[in-house]
Amino acid sequence: MVKLKTLVLVGLASAISAGVTVFISSKTAEARKPFAPEDLKLMDEELMQLVKKGDELWHSPKLGKNGLTCANCHPDGANANPHTFPKFQDNVGKVATLREMINWCIERPLEGKALPEDSEDMKALEAYAIYMYRGYPLKPGDNTREYPPVKVKSGPGYP
Amino acid sequence: MKKISRRDFFSLSTKVGAAAFTAGAISPFTGLVSVAEAGSHGSKSKITPFNFVVVGDTHLYEMPNHRFDKTFDRAIKDILAMKPKPDFVLFIGDLAQFGKVKELEKGKKFLDRLEKAGIKYLIIPGEHDWYLDMGKTWKKMFGKDHWSFDHKGVHFIGLNSILVEDYWTAKNMTPWERMLAIAELECHVCGLWGVGEKQLEWLEKDVKKLRPDTPVVVFTHSPLWDFYPRWNFQTKDAPQIRHILSKFEKVIAIHGHVHQVVYNRTGNMVHIGNLATSWPWPYPPVELPYPKIRMNRVDPGDIYDGIGFATTYIDDTFLGKLNYKTWAELLPDEVKKGVLL
Repeated sequence: MVKLKTLVLVGLASAISAGVTVFISSKTAEARKPFAPEDLKLMDEELMQLVKKGDELWHSPKLGKNGLTCANCHPDGANANPHTFPKFQDNVGKVATLREMINWCIERPLEGKALPEDSEDMKALEAYAIYMYRGYPLKPGDNTREYPPVKVKSGPGYP
Repeated sequence: MKKISRRDFFSLSTKVGAAAFTAGAISPFTGLVSVAEAGSHGSKSKITPFNFVVVGDTHLYEMPNHRFDKTFDRAIKDILAMKPKPDFVLFIGDLAQFGKVKELEKGKKFLDRLEKAGIKYLIIPGEHDWYLDMGKTWKKMFGKDHWSFDHKGVHFIGLNSILVEDYWTAKNMTPWERMLAIAELECHVCGLWGVGEKQLEWLEKDVKKLRPDTPVVVFTHSPLWDFYPRWNFQTKDAPQIRHILSKFEKVIAIHGHVHQVVYNRTGNMVHIGNLATSWPWPYPPVELPYPKIRMNRVDPGDIYDGIGFATTYIDDTFLGKLNYKTWAELLPDEVKKGVLL
């Protein structure tokens, strides 16, 4: 935060000293150059690894004790509706995050033990659910309906 | 299926039944067209009206006192309490979750409770029953995977619609790996399934001598139309099946696998999907052909929500009425009244 403020001030000072009209655009506060395509590719690969791990967990009975997996009720992540969180969850009785809802499913339908919310497994499950709804506008609080995931023609549903 | 029971139980008297069904085409809801009104079209019918039950997708696991044992048990109890008794129960596939002997044995015990109470059952396989040992245990327990019989003027056909091409040999998969792969609805190595050449030939022969006005009901695990192929909500050779059956005035097609309320019409056929007794599937990312025939969102905290079975009444004009039997507020009011077939 301190670093960013300093950057803005330096930017302002140099702009004023140059005698030009000052518009504080997003570019003024940009801390670095745009990422190079190869960097973006690497970052994407990191994400896809997490999504893949999430896919495996989503289809694994090890999260629960009765043999069920997340995918029993949510094939391709269907009806996970990740873009509608946080929202008031009737079955939880309060506003819940996606992670809280994932744990609710692990504890109830799967009869398993809740994951620590900051665990890698939880991050992976969340990443998979969100990735299967990529492109949806955020609709926090939407309890009106279930949304289908992205249409998948073949493969796991992600690159 | 036990050979003696079907032959003894089902009348082989007539393969001819009048099929006046025009009223059913107006609306699939009984609220809008009454069964009695539709009946007036079929004065020469040879159908004796009757009831049958469709139940399936029980997905039993081998562990004892599993939640899916409870839900299947509730369905069996409800069926046993029906008055009048259904003429028969059709089990529409996926008795077991992983095709294990113990799972299938458990399922058979449930079904035998029906038989002990004098209610015959017929059964077709689902993919979950099949791919651990390629149907060996299932066939040993239940006999043929495709069959037909006549009952009170209606010709009933059951097919095995879940046959896929070999996806396991090239990948060196063990039987267990093969089973686990196809047990996922979104299996992306399994490919599309269907009934295959042999059954198509059998079907052609089976219906060859039947008159076009014969009322025909066909059962398959998967729908005989393309709903969402990604989840095998389809049957690869459904176009050929529909072609073979196109000689009939009307065919009622009932399927499982989708675990949801869904309805469609193709040519001379009316298609309807059955609920599971295990868990509901969400709707796939495609439009429903008849959007009003659907189910409500499910409460995941209630193990009895989103599931059930169906009773079907066939009247003397071959107008069917399917009632989904559920235990929670799953159905919109219109669907609650029953769906005309």
